[in-house]
Amino acid sequence: MVISKKVEFSASHICRSPRLSDAENERTFGAAANPLGHGHNYVVEVAIEGEPDPVTGMILDLKRLKNILEEKVLSVYDHRLLNREVEPFDRVVPTVENIAIDIWRRIDPHIQGRAKLYSVRVHETVELSVEYRGGK
Amino acid sequence: MTVRLTRKYGFAASHRLHSRALSDEENRRTYGKCNNPHGHGHNYEVEITVRGQVDRVTGRAIDLGRLDRIAEEQILKPLRYRNLNEEVPVFHEVVPTTENLAAELDRRLRSAWPEVFPDGGPVLEKLRIWETERNICEIDHA
Repeated sequence: MVISKKVEFSASHICRSPRLSDAENERTFGAAANPLGHGHNYVVEVAIEGEPDPVTGMILDLKRLKNILEEKVLSVYDHRLLNREVEPFDRVVPTVENIAIDIWRRIDPHIQGRAKLYSVRVHETVELSVEYRGGK
Repeated sequence: MTVRLTRKYGFAASHRLHSRALSDEENRRTYGKCNNPHGHGHNYEVEITVRGQVDRVTGRAIDLGRLDRIAEEQILKPLRYRNLNEEVPVFHEVVPTTENLAAELDRRLRSAWPEVFPDGGPVLEKLRIWETERNICEIDHA
């Protein structure tokens, strides 16, 4: 059984790699390569897999999941310039792909017991989302 | 790292659900108001999900420009503001239900995919089409 929870944060980012030339950055990222940055209202859906506890009927205490998301993700990401203020985006381009992977890494160690993290889906816009299910 | 990236597109088109293999009465019974001889339209939405490896340098799993181009060339340009029954050859024979439309869009993307994404690039995993908020059809290759 999979249960999912949705949270939101707002942040700005710059999609440029120092390992690419200006022309390559423009070609790869288009308008998102603007060196002054731009922002999104990101929506994060975290899906947890497991069987409900026979006593509580819950896979995971959702208050606990909410606290993990607030502490490990929202307090770090919300209203920040990701490239400057959030690790590892000083070294890694903060594409929506890398944001999904980073959120997985931040929360996975804290989801224990009968529940396990199944996927992290990040919506950057209503037209674009990425899902990461862990592993390679 | 493998991720699944989903991008959403939209186009408006008209159609009529009517099968030549059925009588007029059977058509009315099967398709209800969608059998209206004058046709009717929808704002279709199409979600394309691809599976790919995140590039270490760019942080991208797919070249979105190429995905937009294949969607535009294979789906949006040929179908936008069209009468599907009259103007899209496959629907001269096949009823343009959401199911058949999903299969046709999937076939179009698949046939153009190797040319746009050569050398084992991202894999087309899923196509989902909304005819309305409540009618959704999905083809999942996972």
